[in-house]
Amino acid sequence: MRRQILRAGAILIAGLGLGLAGAQAAPKGEITVWSWNIAAEALDMLVPDFNKKYPDVKVNVLNMGNGDVYTKTLAGCAAGGTDLPDVVTIENSEAEIQWARFPDCFVNLKEFGVEKYVDKFPAFKWTELMAGDGIFSLPWDSGPTMIFYRRDLYEKAGVDPAAINTWDDFINAGKKILAATNGEVKMVTIDMNEDGWFRALANQESCSYFTNDGEAVAINQPGCVVALEMIKKMIDAGIVANGDWGGQIQNIKTNSVASAYFGGWYEGTIRSNAPEQSGKWGMYPPPAVEPGGVRAANWGGSSLAITSSSKNKEAAWAYIEYALATDEGQISMLRNRGLVPSLLSAVSTDYAKSPMEYWGGQPVWTDMLATQGNIPPYRGTQYFDEVRGTIVNKTISDFMNGNYKTAKEALDFAASQIVSATGVPIAQ
Amino acid sequence: MEGRRCAGPPVFRVSLTAAMRRQAVPYLFLAPYLAVFAAFWAWPIVQSFLLTFQNTRVIPPRWQPGLNWGRLLNDAVFLSALKNTFFILLVQVPIMLALATMLALALNSTMLRARGLFRFAFFAPVVVGEVAYSALFRLIFNGKFGAVNGALGALGLPTPDWLQRPGTAMAVVIIAITWRWTGYNAIIILAGLQNIPQDLYEAAAVDGVPRWRQHLSITLPLLRPVVLFALVLSIIGTMQLFAEPWLITLGGPGNATETLGTYLYRQGFTSTNFGYASTVAYAMALMAATFSAVQIVFFGRQR
Repeated sequence: MRRQILRAGAILIAGLGLGLAGAQAAPKGEITVWSWNIAAEALDMLVPDFNKKYPDVKVNVLNMGNGDVYTKTLAGCAAGGTDLPDVVTIENSEAEIQWARFPDCFVNLKEFGVEKYVDKFPAFKWTELMAGDGIFSLPWDSGPTMIFYRRDLYEKAGVDPAAINTWDDFINAGKKILAATNGEVKMVTIDMNEDGWFRALANQESCSYFTNDGEAVAINQPGCVVALEMIKKMIDAGIVANGDWGGQIQNIKTNSVASAYFGGWYEGTIRSNAPEQSGKWGMYPPPAVEPGGVRAANWGGSSLAITSSSKNKEAAWAYIEYALATDEGQISMLRNRGLVPSLLSAVSTDYAKSPMEYWGGQPVWTDMLATQGNIPPYRGTQYFDEVRGTIVNKTISDFMNGNYKTAKEALDFAASQIVSATGVPIAQ
Repeated sequence: MEGRRCAGPPVFRVSLTAAMRRQAVPYLFLAPYLAVFAAFWAWPIVQSFLLTFQNTRVIPPRWQPGLNWGRLLNDAVFLSALKNTFFILLVQVPIMLALATMLALALNSTMLRARGLFRFAFFAPVVVGEVAYSALFRLIFNGKFGAVNGALGALGLPTPDWLQRPGTAMAVVIIAITWRWTGYNAIIILAGLQNIPQDLYEAAAVDGVPRWRQHLSITLPLLRPVVLFALVLSIIGTMQLFAEPWLITLGGPGNATETLGTYLYRQGFTSTNFGYASTVAYAMALMAATFSAVQIVFFGRQR
């Protein structure tokens, strides 16, 4: 006991020493950051402002594909940290596999006093970034989901978005829109080969693949069953267009859908792909699965981590702290590339409150960020990619093709497959 | 040279007789190759076999012999990948080899002009990089903007969303592989055709055997070993099929075009489950070896 106290004391002193050293020397050197698409662009556009504060740090942002960053990071860690950059972007749902398989590959940010930021971000953003007693990544953007809708098409069919409280209301509104447009305009696009909608609706009902402690399989729990049934109900009602990422954009451009459903980051995709529809769009929070249910869910979102092989950890921390834990950094990325800040204080900045012309003068960021506190936390766990990529997508696609009688039957089978793939037991 | 070596340090003279030294020489020449072979072939083969008995998702990896092999037979996705691979094996390989044989006969015909050009043209797809041609197939079979649907639409035929439906996605993969490998197999079979002695045909012609009968009784039987060779190559290739389904459909939609190769990659490099990926790899290798053995026993007797 006494020895433990002594050891704890020693660690504390060592920690203090580190903290002091960090505070004294201004970091300098060169760092490399791996990220993808608009996220990489947003990070790159941030560098001039960052350099005003830290003129001696040179930041190189490499824009790679999302999948490339993920697999190259895993491969680099498997090779003991070879060829890794100083900072990597990690999607929340794909984070835990990194800490679980390669705990020594990333810096425990407690070394830099990350604890002081814990209550500056919503709890759900942290779930996957902590492991054991370590915090390995700093939250970046989040994906509070919204229904993006065409004001003109809703109006034409006499649909009031404010009256859509449940997904059943959403289905009825979809039927009205179909009727008012001779069946030419569907309510929304769903990619039936992907689990995005299922995860979002299940998230509303506090259900996920696993329980939040990651100790049991939860995919056949009632919340997930209702979610899958609801999606089938929408499809059976004929209000849904099938389409992948590109197909969905095509549907928007050709006015063949009246809504879209994604994380808030889809704002930039609509705005940049359909500039001619400016002023015609609006947003409302996701309808509840059951009357009175939660009207908030999360879809996507990332974080930044520092690799243990980095030669310039101080500089790397200075950069990610500036980018993610200051209003200035987060708002810059929101303005430039529509990345939704998860930093709570960024919600009350002037920019986040201002009305957006493209969205018909609606202050969409405020409306979107207001749902953030209600999002039920969920965990991807280290098995996320394996479970989603093979078992869940197959189950959804088989269920939609009528290979199972009920959603419960489909998800029971998925649960048994997850058990045999991961060894994690089914929740009671 | 020999004399100088004998004058070397006494230790060598004691430990190595001249005969032993002479025997060692070829191994010394082989040593660089053997070292590379041991490090990059033999060791991984042994190591991945050992991995199949370990749980590699914990640190450090734990010895759990039944874990991965037990999961394999109960794994719906593995079984559907297996089913898809067999489907391609049973449908695509026979079609491709039949086409290749016909093509070889046509290319061998004395009536054909510019034979060199045609032979090159049909062989050319093999020269094209897998990534490049897969990207092209993805584009031309795109449901909305693809050339194929453009043509079908212009003819008033239905325009399926090729890559988004299970059956049509599989069809695209099969068409792509067939496009790429038919010419290659045709060239192999053509070489076999040219090895058939001309005097057999001359003798048959003297005896008044009609052309079609010559074809059935001379050409095809004598082609058998070459076709068998092409078949073994194609089967092994199909068992390992990866690039086309990964780059054209990403194994989708759902798992409709997941093959053993793409599933192995998924387990190994996106789920970092090296133990299970090795198990899938060994299952593939066992099946490929079994197939080859069966073929050689049943069809390869005469050679």
